[in-house]
Amino acid sequence: MSLVKGRTCSESCMELLSLELVHYYARQNNIPAPAAVEAIGFRVGRQLAERYTANRARLGEPLEVIKFICKEFWAAAFRKQVDNLRTNHRGTFVLKDAAFRWLSKLSVDPLPPGVPAGPSPVAELARDYLILPCALIRGALVHLGVEATVTADASNLPACDFTINIKSRN
Amino acid sequence: MIVCAAVIGQQNNPLYLETFQQAGTGSEGALRFHYIVHCSLDAVEEKLLQPQKTPGEPSDAYLGFLYPTEDFKVYGYVSNTKMKFILVLDDMAPKDEEMRLIFKRFHAAFIDAISNPFYTVNTPITSPSFDASIRTIMTTV
Repeated sequence: MSLVKGRTCSESCMELLSLELVHYYARQNNIPAPAAVEAIGFRVGRQLAERYTANRARLGEPLEVIKFICKEFWAAAFRKQVDNLRTNHRGTFVLKDAAFRWLSKLSVDPLPPGVPAGPSPVAELARDYLILPCALIRGALVHLGVEATVTADASNLPACDFTINIKSRN
Repeated sequence: MIVCAAVIGQQNNPLYLETFQQAGTGSEGALRFHYIVHCSLDAVEEKLLQPQKTPGEPSDAYLGFLYPTEDFKVYGYVSNTKMKFILVLDDMAPKDEEMRLIFKRFHAAFIDAISNPFYTVNTPITSPSFDASIRTIMTTV
């Protein structure tokens, strides 16, 4: 990995940490869990953006920033590149990852026979675990000067879609 | 010799300023450099607005020589994230390659400092270890 240069960590440790992070904040009664996880992700995203862009040519347009996120940032943080990038040219970008690594181990108990299947239980479960990666991406974007919102959709795991909405300048 | 090193944040807010002059200056010296660094921001902005020499050529983070004052020369470097790094030198002509290298090390030290989980983004850096590493970079030239 060209960006990381020897600064790597064990993938299983990383997985366990992100798992425990969500569980830890879910157990805290006095802090709203999504906000706490979001804040951590946002801060780390900003720091990663500073580190990963240190040795590269200057980024200008928001599109260049998005491309950087898809290629280099994704490769460094999630160990692969984004598989597909779509845009409506009005500030909305959809990043499709066919096998999002952070959710590759996620599964739910199979329903007992006879119980009608609800609205995709895996997606429900994945929602909590997607707050951190979304916040990471948003933090990196904001730090590179692109104000945006990031949402994720994991209705057909392991594929995962991230939608970036850039806030218009005016 | 480098007499002052400064980091300016994304909203042109000062994050760090340190002077490396011989004893005898004190806080008045720091104030003077605050003024010089503040003035250099205009030059930084001007450099950033300049069109690329040849289209397609990646623009460099190192901005080179910004402007001279009576006694000093001011050099600049801007990261992708619009963090500005300013160095003030007393009279001598360094090679661009050397300056580039110093700025790279300066930036690397800064990245390590802001990666501290107890540091809040866009606030002045008070870490003593950052101080120490800057001192090493700037005085071993």
